[in-house]
Parts: sequence; structure tokens; C-alpha cells
Amino acid sequence: MKRLLPLYVIAIYAFLHVPLLILCGFSFNSSKFTVWEGFSLVWYEAMWNDGVLAEATWNSLVIAVVSTVVATAVGTLGAYGLWKKNSRLLSGSMYLSLVTPEIITGIAMLATFQWAFRYLHLQLGMTTVIFAHVTFSMAYVLLVVMARLRTADPALEEAALDLGATEWQAFRLVTLPMLKPGIAAAALLAFTVSFDDYVITALVAGVDSETLPMVLYAMARRGANPVVSAISTVIFVGLGLLIVVSERLQKT
Amino acid sequence: MMRLRAFFLLPAWAFTLLLFLAPMGIIVVYSLQTKGVYGGVGEPWTVENYVRLFDPLYGVILLRSFAMAGAATFGCLVLAFPLALYISRSGTRKTLLLNLVMLPFWTSFLVRTYAWMFLLRDTGLINSMLLGMGLISEPLPLLYNDGAVVVGLIYGYLPFAVLPLYSNLERLDKGLLEAAADLGAKPWEAMLHVVLPLTAPGMRAACVLVFIPSLGAYLTPDLLGGGKSMMIGNLVQNQFTSARDWPFGAALSLALMAVVMLLLWALLRRDCEEML
Amino acid sequence: MRRRVFAASLAGLGCGRSRQSRLNVFNWSAYVAPETVPNFEREFGVKVRYSIYESNEEMLARVFSGNSGWDVVFPTHYMVPPMREQGLLVALDPAQLPNRKHLDPAFVRPGLTEYAVPYMWNATGIVFNKKLQPTPESWADLWRPALRGKITMLDDPAEVLAAALRKLGLSLNSRNPDELRAAQREALRQKPLLRAYLNSEVRDQVVAGDVMAAQLWSTTAQQAIDAAPHLGFVYPREGFPVNLDCAVILRESPRQELAHAWINYLLRPDVSARVADSMRTATANLAARPLLGAGTRDNGTLYPSAEVMARAEWFETMTPEVQRLRDRLWTEIKSA
Repeated sequence: MKRLLPLYVIAIYAFLHVPLLILCGFSFNSSKFTVWEGFSLVWYEAMWNDGVLAEATWNSLVIAVVSTVVATAVGTLGAYGLWKKNSRLLSGSMYLSLVTPEIITGIAMLATFQWAFRYLHLQLGMTTVIFAHVTFSMAYVLLVVMARLRTADPALEEAALDLGATEWQAFRLVTLPMLKPGIAAAALLAFTVSFDDYVITALVAGVDSETLPMVLYAMARRGANPVVSAISTVIFVGLGLLIVVSERLQKT
Repeated sequence: MMRLRAFFLLPAWAFTLLLFLAPMGIIVVYSLQTKGVYGGVGEPWTVENYVRLFDPLYGVILLRSFAMAGAATFGCLVLAFPLALYISRSGTRKTLLLNLVMLPFWTSFLVRTYAWMFLLRDTGLINSMLLGMGLISEPLPLLYNDGAVVVGLIYGYLPFAVLPLYSNLERLDKGLLEAAADLGAKPWEAMLHVVLPLTAPGMRAACVLVFIPSLGAYLTPDLLGGGKSMMIGNLVQNQFTSARDWPFGAALSLALMAVVMLLLWALLRRDCEEML
Repeated sequence: MRRRVFAASLAGLGCGRSRQSRLNVFNWSAYVAPETVPNFEREFGVKVRYSIYESNEEMLARVFSGNSGWDVVFPTHYMVPPMREQGLLVALDPAQLPNRKHLDPAFVRPGLTEYAVPYMWNATGIVFNKKLQPTPESWADLWRPALRGKITMLDDPAEVLAAALRKLGLSLNSRNPDELRAAQREALRQKPLLRAYLNSEVRDQVVAGDVMAAQLWSTTAQQAIDAAPHLGFVYPREGFPVNLDCAVILRESPRQELAHAWINYLLRPDVSARVADSMRTATANLAARPLLGAGTRDNGTLYPSAEVMARAEWFETMTPEVQRLRDRLWTEIKSA
């Protein structure tokens, strides 16, 4: 039994990674089809030259970065506030938003924006997408930071207060540094969730806010497309490097 | 004290109120209205949409969604448990192994689904290999059926099953296993009677994290199922797009959320205090 | 810091409208030639944001709010009356569209002219692998048990019901519940034989041979045939639906003059011919026909003969009750 376990683990990791590795491998295939016809970078060239793709990637990055920053800040503060004194309604709503299927939250937000736009004369665009992303990312941040806070010792803050610190100082100098790994993990999660989101973004996006998942979906819908494989490889490798780098940083 | 706490909670409240609770309120309002002639919503107010929910057709769709989500959850639990066990005993390599589990999750969901389409097609890799090895004479129809959808769901949500199980297993007191061994239990007996019951909270959390998103999934059945089976997620999406029946879609969404909340309560009420 | 980000994004909201003149066009995929948009940009000295969609529903969902930001979109003809009823469209100014005279009168439909300009059209038929003997000629051929697992139908309720209705010899715009149920029974009989319900994505599978016969639009089919000469296309004997994609201007657009100029530009015979040639589409522009390359002009798939067109039937907009019945029938088919 003990000997089987490592074999099993290898098999599971293969299950998880092989489909992606194969996709990456075939992105270097010179032919469109699943028959290997030779090594080629032609799809990477096509990807590089695709203006729509470039703009969509840029949009995705901007949205992800902005919404991550805002969501992490709001979520961390919210988690701390809830840790001090719980509010069933707020934490309940956050958990509810996590388990509500995306199509429902997306439609609900679209309906809200439409209703608001009747009176405010705004348009669907980058801003609406960012607001939407912050809302769902925030719940993830809250989850992660609260999990971290639960293992924290309230006595430390009390000690700081006894020693004359203000509450804000107690938060900033005692609790916050301790939360750093949790906040970093939460931020990474928020970034991933935002960068990868399709359903909600597709519903609330405007003219100028086409994102990478939207372009990928359109391309996949139109049939087998090695450019999608090329993009996927780049994302996969990019994120892999990001993880390795963040590992190294955390160790130092 | 109150002012500071208000400051901390205000932004979270603002977003939750404006972009979650208010939208849900609008959905409730929509569910009580009638579909406009060509789409949109309007008067008169009616509960007809809720009455429509009791049509057996939708019950069938809900049951099918439950079955597929259930199969995916079971698959995830079975696959994730040994993996989580191994990682929890890996000492220094824990983070690396965990990150390797999460890495596919960090690539786009669409991409992962696309990778499976690539593998399962008649001219895809699996069939090409099997044909090449002479094991089959005709390609197997691996894609565009319920099985493909379940595999896609398992593949997509496996990391979500691993994490809570790992978290739970890691916190287990190793002393308990030793005590069991001292009392004469064989390893598999210890596993069955000691470890498994103690991982119940982790398994419940894993169930929540896999079952509920699978229930509302719509991209996976759409892309891998060939449009032949309708899950609840597809039905809801259909109401808001081709059927343009927002009121019924809203009622359906609220019904789905009620089911989800019920499940959450049933699965997590013991862990409630800890969660909230 | 959070406050600064918030303020910046608010500023961004207002900024969007005072930027340089930019026309926002939302169109079907593969409906303009590579040079169509750049040439327009150069000639009129504006920028064009050009995005694509794959279905009317996708477009309508974005446009419905009345604040989507798009100026010109291309609904299929039966979508125009609902969009007009919802107040989404603006009446076209004939004075700004002199090139309308180039249109094929066959495509100038009643109820459309005031708000929509015909652009490209296509019809639904059967694309098949020539290895299939005997070659398909009618919708009934897609119900052949021998083809189990090798047939696909479109993932579109109107199209599937249309095929079933025509197979039964009924109008594809039938509003009669009994007729619709009979069509549904046909579709349910067919479902076990189907590989999947697929739209354009089936093109690669037909080329690769995974699928032997598929219900598909003529333009998509032609793209498949271009890639694989062993494929053929047929307009079913029992009759088939016709779709006309039209250009409309959204009421919310603050650039209506520019929008008119864009549509007028697309109506130029040479522009239309270039699109039709490079993207293998069927243009509704009569004056463009002589300018088409021989491969396109004489193409029986894209430009069927009058005799074939006599079997065609145009999709009509359904009343809400009938639409609801059709949706329900489709849900039943899908969840069977």
C-alpha cells in the first residue's frame, strides 16, 4: 500500500498536467491537425501579430491588476473588521456570492448596471468590468485572510494596546505584518480568478473591454485553432515562472 | 473603536451592497414580473414564473445536474484523498507539491477544457494512439457525452478537492495513528476507523467546493457535452440569451440558489461556527 | 490609496466619450476582407473598433441595455422587428445611403428597409463527405440510422425545428402547436443518432472526417469545402431556411453620420465584392455580382440557382406565445 501511493501520486499529476503539456507541445506543430508535421513557431508568430489578441491581453492584465489591488485592500480590511466583531449578514453574503453560479451573479450585475445606466448615462466598459471583478475577487480574499486570522492570537493586539498603541497602530504594526503571507496568497488568488474569468466579464464588458478569455472562447468556438494552444502555452509557462519566482521570494 | 471598525468594513459593505445584494434584489424583482413582448421585463406582477418551476421537465434537468455534479464530486474525492494524504506527509516538499496541483488551475479554465477537447476528439490524441497501437479499429466516441462532461468537471475542480482535504489531514494528530497501531490496528484499519472519520470536515468542505460549482457549470457541458444534455447552468443561460425570458430565468436562478443554500446548510452546519 | 484609484476610475468613465472619433462596429466573424476596415479608416480619417460575435443572442445580450457603446451591428433579418420594437434602432436616413440602389431587389424585404440595410445572406443546408453513398439530398437523409454518431445538427432551435418541419412538408415558420410537436417528435427520434449539436465548430470535424454529414450554413460550409475538396454541399429537396444579415444603427450611437457613412461604404460594389471573394460569403449587393471572381460568382453553394431558391423560405419573427412554445420544445429536446 505504502509503495503504491507514490505511483498513484505520479499518475494523478500526470492526469493534471499531461493534457496541458500536450496542448503546449502541439502549439509547436507546423500543421493545424493532430498529426505531428514538424517543429514550427508559425502559430506564435500569428499570435504575436494578432492585434485583437494583444489588446485583449492588455485589457485582461489591467483589469486583473486594478481589481486585485482594490479587492485585496477591501477584502483584507473587511476580514479584519469581521474578525474583531462578526456581522452575519456581511460574511454570509460573501460566502453566498462565492457559491452562487457565475451566470447568475453576472446577469444580476448586468441588470443592475442597466438599471443604473438609465439614470446615470454611463456605459458598459472597463469600469463596469473592474467593479464586477472586485466584487467576486473580494470574497476569495476574505476567505483566505479570515482563515489566516483564525489562527492568529488576539492577545498580541491586546498586548500592543496595553502598551499604549492606538488601534490603527496595533493593526498596522502587529497584525498586518503577520498577515503578509495570507495577503500575498489572497492577492495571487484574486489575480488568477480575475484574469481567468469568462462568464461574468462577457456579460458586463463593453466596447473597449474585450478580455483574453473572451477572445479565447470565440476562437475555440470557431474550431480547432493552434493559436489558442500557443496562447495557452505562454500563459502556462508565464504563470509557472511566476509561481517559481514567488516561491523563491517567500523563502528569502 | 466603532469608527475604526466602520472604516474597515465600509468598503466591503459598499461593494457587497451595491454589487451583490442589490443585484440579487433586482433578480427577485424580475422573477415576479412578466417577459416583455420581445425580451426585457415589465408589468404585470405575477408568480407565474415560480409556478412554472414545478413543471416536471425542470425537475428532470435538476436531477440530471445533481447526478453529474455528484459523479464529479465523488470522482474528485476519490482521486484527491490519496494525493492529499501523500502531500500532508511530504515534509519540506509540501508547498511545491501543492503548487503543482494548483498550477493547472492557474491556467485559464477555457484552456483546460480546450485541452480535453483536443485529447478526446475522434481525431484527437487518445484515439490516434489507440488506433496506432491497433487496440481499436474505429475511433471511440469519447467526446460529446455525459462522461466527457464529468471528466471535464473533475479535471477542473480537482484542486478544489485537494486543498481542504490536505488542510484537514495536515492538522491531524499523528499521535492518534500511533495509538491505533499500539492497540493492534493494521494500517488500513487505522485509515478506515481513525483517519477517515476525522477528515469528515475536510471532505464536507471539498464536497461544497466541487459540487456547487459543478451544479451551476455551463461552459463545460456546453463545450464537452456537444449540446446534447442540458444542465441547470445551460438552462439558466438559455433563458437569458436565446429564450430572452428574463423573468423565468430569474426565478430559475433563485430556485437554484435556494438549492445551493440548502446544501450548504446541510453540509456545513456543524462547521458553521468555525466558518462564520 | 483606494480613494485615488476610485477617483481615477470615475475620471476614466467620463473620459471615454470625449476621445477621438471612433466608430464601433460589431459584426459576425469573417464578414469583412482584411483591407475593408483599414481602407475605410484611411479614407474617412477615423478609427474603427471592430469586434465580432458568433450568434444573434450574443450580440443582442450586449446591445439590449441601450448603453453598450456599439454604433453599428448586424442582426439577422428576423431580429430586426424585435430590436425595433424595443426602441434600440434608429430610422435610416436615405439621403446618406445613396449606394442602396445597388442592392438586389430580392433582398429588400417589407418591414426592413426603414431600419436595416441587407448585407450578406446565407441559407442552411447539408454539408457532407463525398464518401457517403448515396449522397444526401434531403433533410430526411440526416435521419439515416446508418449514420449514427456521424451526423450533427446546428445548436439552434429555429434551425433544428425548421429541418424537422420541412422534412414533414410543413412551413418552417409554423405557429401550429400540433405541427410543432410533430416536428419535435422527429427531432427526438433523431437525437440518438446525433454526434452533437454544433455550430461553426463542426467545420474542422467535417474536414477531418469525424462527421460525415452536418446541417450547416452555406458560407461556413463553403469554408470547409475550400479546405477539403472531398466535401459537398446540398440544399435539401424539401426546402430550407434563408437568413439575411443586415446592418442597423443603434439609437444610442452618438456618431450616426459616421455610422451611415460606414454602411454606405459597405454598399459599394467593389467593397462588397472584395468581402464576398475573400471571406467566401454571399452578398446581397446586385451590382457587386459582376465584380466577383469566377470561383465565387459561379459557386452553387454560395449563389444557388433560381430553381433552388424557389424552395427557400425566409425565417419570420415569432409571436411571444409561439416563441415560448418553441423554446419549451427545444428544452425538452435538449434534456431528453
